[in-house]
Formats: sequence, structure tokens, C-alpha cells
Amino acid sequence: MKSKIATAILLSSLVLPASAFDLNLDSIKGALQQVKTATEDVPEPKEIEIGGGVASNLLGAAPLVKNAAVQKYVNDVGRWLALQTERPDLPWQFAVLDDDDVNAFAAPGGYVFITKGLLMHMKSESELAGVLAHEISHVLRKHHLNAIRKGARTDLMVEFGSEVAKQKGASQSLIKLANAGTQLYARGLDKEDEFEADRMGVVIAARAGYDPYGLPAVLQTLQSLNAKDSKLALMFKTHPAPADRLGQLDQLMTGRFDSFEGHPDLTSRFQAVMNGK
Amino acid sequence: MRLSGLTLVAGLALACGLAQAGDTAFAVRPTALKEKPYTDAKTLDNLAQNAKVEIIGRHGSWDKVKIGDETGWVKMLSLRLGEAAQKTGDSGFKTLFNVASTGGSGGTMTTGVRGLSEEKLNNPHPDPQALEDMHRLAVSKDEAQRFARAGNLAAGKMDYLPAPAK
Repeated sequence: MKSKIATAILLSSLVLPASAFDLNLDSIKGALQQVKTATEDVPEPKEIEIGGGVASNLLGAAPLVKNAAVQKYVNDVGRWLALQTERPDLPWQFAVLDDDDVNAFAAPGGYVFITKGLLMHMKSESELAGVLAHEISHVLRKHHLNAIRKGARTDLMVEFGSEVAKQKGASQSLIKLANAGTQLYARGLDKEDEFEADRMGVVIAARAGYDPYGLPAVLQTLQSLNAKDSKLALMFKTHPAPADRLGQLDQLMTGRFDSFEGHPDLTSRFQAVMNGK
Repeated sequence: MRLSGLTLVAGLALACGLAQAGDTAFAVRPTALKEKPYTDAKTLDNLAQNAKVEIIGRHGSWDKVKIGDETGWVKMLSLRLGEAAQKTGDSGFKTLFNVASTGGSGGTMTTGVRGLSEEKLNNPHPDPQALEDMHRLAVSKDEAQRFARAGNLAAGKMDYLPAPAK
């Protein structure tokens, strides 16, 4: 890390005026912010910018399901869940991708995607809430953002950190970071990030008033599917086994969540939207 | 794709079934077979660890199971599905989505490289127009709160859970 910081300082000094006489407080502050972006915190607007780039790429791989009622419903559930978290004011956006693969994705800054293939395996709003809350947790903990930053060259982060967002189109550094973020979905996050998102997801669902067993229910459904099915290949490759994820939730939820037993799972509202009623 | 082009296809899907109905599972610990899906419901039987059951339904955190001639309810997290589980089907809505996405009858449609394949993720191409459509689908805090009220969802407080000891 130290060498990264040194490289960042060196590189940012190159973009500052060459003469020491031209140095002023603003430019020093600016240089420090660039180093900070490369090594510690990515400021929220920059986080959202990267997320937008990644989201655009995902939408290039799979289009939106052309059903306004379903898209609105998933946004309603997701936004309500996000309001129960420590980042309620991010520009949260949710979408169903028209793809038969069984998967869900989160991108930095509040972008959450679920595939049609996964949605079709669900039976209630609490199950949808459980999966969305898992993805929301990835955004809250900046799992993807941190992985992108760790993998990126320091000078790329410095360059991106120093840019003013373009009105139209993406800069070269944004494109590179967004592409790295998209490629991350093919490799997956650290397994511990997935377990953490499970632990947080059931709590967020419970806070939002849902039956918190929606996420374990989906994991049980995934366990019942044929692991050899190609529609599940990427999700299974990039996540811990459903049995291990259920094992963790079993350990944590048993006894602690009994008081949520009567919370609504809103099966009928879910079914009505999915059946177009 | 313009948002104005989004269409609502209504009433085409079959009612959904249970994805896991008919799967065999086993108890990961000794567990009670209840008459109803509640902790304080009457206990019908006690299942031994590794007892095999057939899952025939689900309600909240409970699975409805069949064991021999007996049916009852077991805590979902006390069960794990066995190796034998081999299903490729899904729970429904197929008709709705197939018609919505292809305009066809849901027959086979091969498209070469599948959407979210690793290949596509590794060679990304942005779709800024679809991203704009996605922005327009977002709902406000107020809308989300109205939606929650309509579903009788009441917000509550709860701390995040610590990582379990390894």
C-alpha cells in the first residue's frame, strides 16, 4: 500500500503545475484528494459514476424486461428495503434483466439487478426482498467498489479521481474501471463478502417488516435445482454453495428471529404482479 | 429501447407452483414435526437427525413435509436438500415473460451466445439508452413508503448480525 501511495503522489505531482511558485493550497488539496481516491475512499459521486458505467455494461449484455409493472414493483420493494439502511439517500435503482440465467447483481452507488430467470423461481415478495436485501448489502459495504479499486492500477484511479464528470459520454478512465467492474461478475467476489451480504440481507428484510426467511427460502430453492443446469453455472461458480450459505443463516437466525414468524411474506401481492393482474 | 415502449402483458401466466415440491430432504438435527407452521403448535412427532422427508410445501420459515404416512411442518433451516434433488423447472410466470420478451409462443429460440455469459461480461458493451430507461424506473422515498403501507409492512429496528465463530 505504501508504494501505491508513493506512486500516487508522484503521479499527481506530474499533473500539478511544474513550478513550485505556482503551487497553492487548492492544488495541494486537489492532489491529496486524488491520492485519497486512489488509496482510500472513493467519493460518493465517483462511486455512483463507476456504478453507472458497470450498470450500462450489464444492460448491454442483457436488456430490461419489457414489463413496466414488474419493474415498478421491484423498485418499490428495493427502495423500501434501502430506506432501512445506513445509506437511504443513494440514488437506488432496481431492474429485472431479460435473461434466463439465475442470478442477481449489484453495482456501486445503488444499482441492483435481478434476472428474469431468478425471479421466476420465487414465490413471494419476502423472497424477492431477501435477494434484493442481499444485493443492497453489497452496495452498503462497497464490496464491488473495493474489489475494482484493489484491482485497478493506481494511476488509473488518480486519473479518474481528478476528472470532472462528463455531461455526455464516459471518459477513458471511467470506461476502463466500469469494464473491470463488469468482468468482476464473471469471477465473483470474495466468498466472505457473500456470507456478509447474507447476514445483512436477512436483517434488512426483517427491519422492513418482511418475513426474514425469504432469503433462506430462495437458497433452499436453489439447492433443489440441478446444479448442472447451465442457467445456474455462473451463479454457482461465483457464490458459496447454497448449503454453506444456509448453514451460516441457520447458525445465526435460529432462536434470534422467532419473533418475526408472523411477518408478512406478501405472496398474493407478488403473484398478482407476476401474473399481470 | 424507450421506456414508452414498455408494455404490460397481462394475465398470461399460470398460477405458480412450488419450486421445491416433491424434493427429498434430511434433518440436520433432531427436530419437531408440528401440526401447524408455528413454534407453539402441537408436536406430532420428533424427527431424528438425518431423517428423510419429502417437502410438499412452504409457509414462511416452515416447510410442509411428508414422512411415511404422516404430514406436518418442520423449520426450514433444520432441513437440507439431499443429493437426489434434480430439477430444472421453475415455479411459473414463464408464459408471461416469454411472451413479453420474444413476442412468440415460448418455443425454443436459440441465440448463440447467451446474455449473461462469462464471454459477454468479459467483453462488455455499454447500453446508455437502457441505463436512462433504468433511471426513469426508479421510485421516490414517498412512493416506497406508500407501497409499504399498502402491504402492511411496518419498519422496525434490528442490529446487523456478527459473523459466526469459525
